[in-house]
Amino acid sequence: MKVFIDPPNSLILFDLVERFGHEPLGAMASIQDRIDNIELDLPPMNVTLDDVVKGLKYAGVEVPSGIRGRLALWGPLIDAADAALIMLDPPFNFGCVGCERSNEMVRYLIKRRGIPALSVAYPNTEEEAKAVVGSIKEFLEGLK
Amino acid sequence: MSGERETRLFMISPDSRVTPDQLVRAVHAMGKGVKVKETCYGCLAEGSEENIGEVLAAVRERYPYDVFSKKRAYPAGDPRRCRAEHGTRPGYAQLEAEWESLPLIACGLESCGKGEKHELPPEPEKLPVEDFKKITEAAR
Repeated sequence: MKVFIDPPNSLILFDLVERFGHEPLGAMASIQDRIDNIELDLPPMNVTLDDVVKGLKYAGVEVPSGIRGRLALWGPLIDAADAALIMLDPPFNFGCVGCERSNEMVRYLIKRRGIPALSVAYPNTEEEAKAVVGSIKEFLEGLK
Repeated sequence: MSGERETRLFMISPDSRVTPDQLVRAVHAMGKGVKVKETCYGCLAEGSEENIGEVLAAVRERYPYDVFSKKRAYPAGDPRRCRAEHGTRPGYAQLEAEWESLPLIACGLESCGKGEKHELPPEPEKLPVEDFKKITEAAR
């Protein structure tokens, strides 16, 4: 099954979803598509004006273009997902994935689609890590 | 998505005794015809989806709790991304933050492998409004 991960470029979530036998849907595939098939290089993620227009499907016109640009990348992944795995407040939530308004919108889109989703808090101790990895394993194995 | 190229990032957990050099030699020795680039955190491997899949399975089998992996959008050694070329693309700060967390995840995976069960700790309860009022008024 296709599992959308949030944060969408997380190494930890991508690895865990693959280990437990599913296909992770992360930002890397969308970005690779924009890197391999470009006419003009537009740092940092080759998001074009067309993408921002496509983002209108997921967020209103009054929403900042940065959020719409991100949703143009991640929105189609949420549409294609059969389930979602969300990690709340990870310490690496900064930079391009650190926009809280975008993240709220992503969580809202997942909820609106009604697909099975698991939200876990970021573990800070070994006990928490064991519980979090255990619950992720249980969730992913239950999807089969 | 373009199915021709797949670039994989292999990251070694900081509490592991495996070195990037050992990992690169192990991937080369598999003889799958993939391009491998040694990095400070592990290595990058690039090739066809099929070959990279075989490399990934072999690396997981050999280093189950030492090496973690994800796809990478940019090709290995892309000057737009490579720090040696002063690449301007973001992402390394996040990788570094995740790298620090890998021992915790490895510990969780080991525990799952042994079949141990752990309950998630209960969420801290919210402070009742009346108690909060008392706290704020006590400071008057």
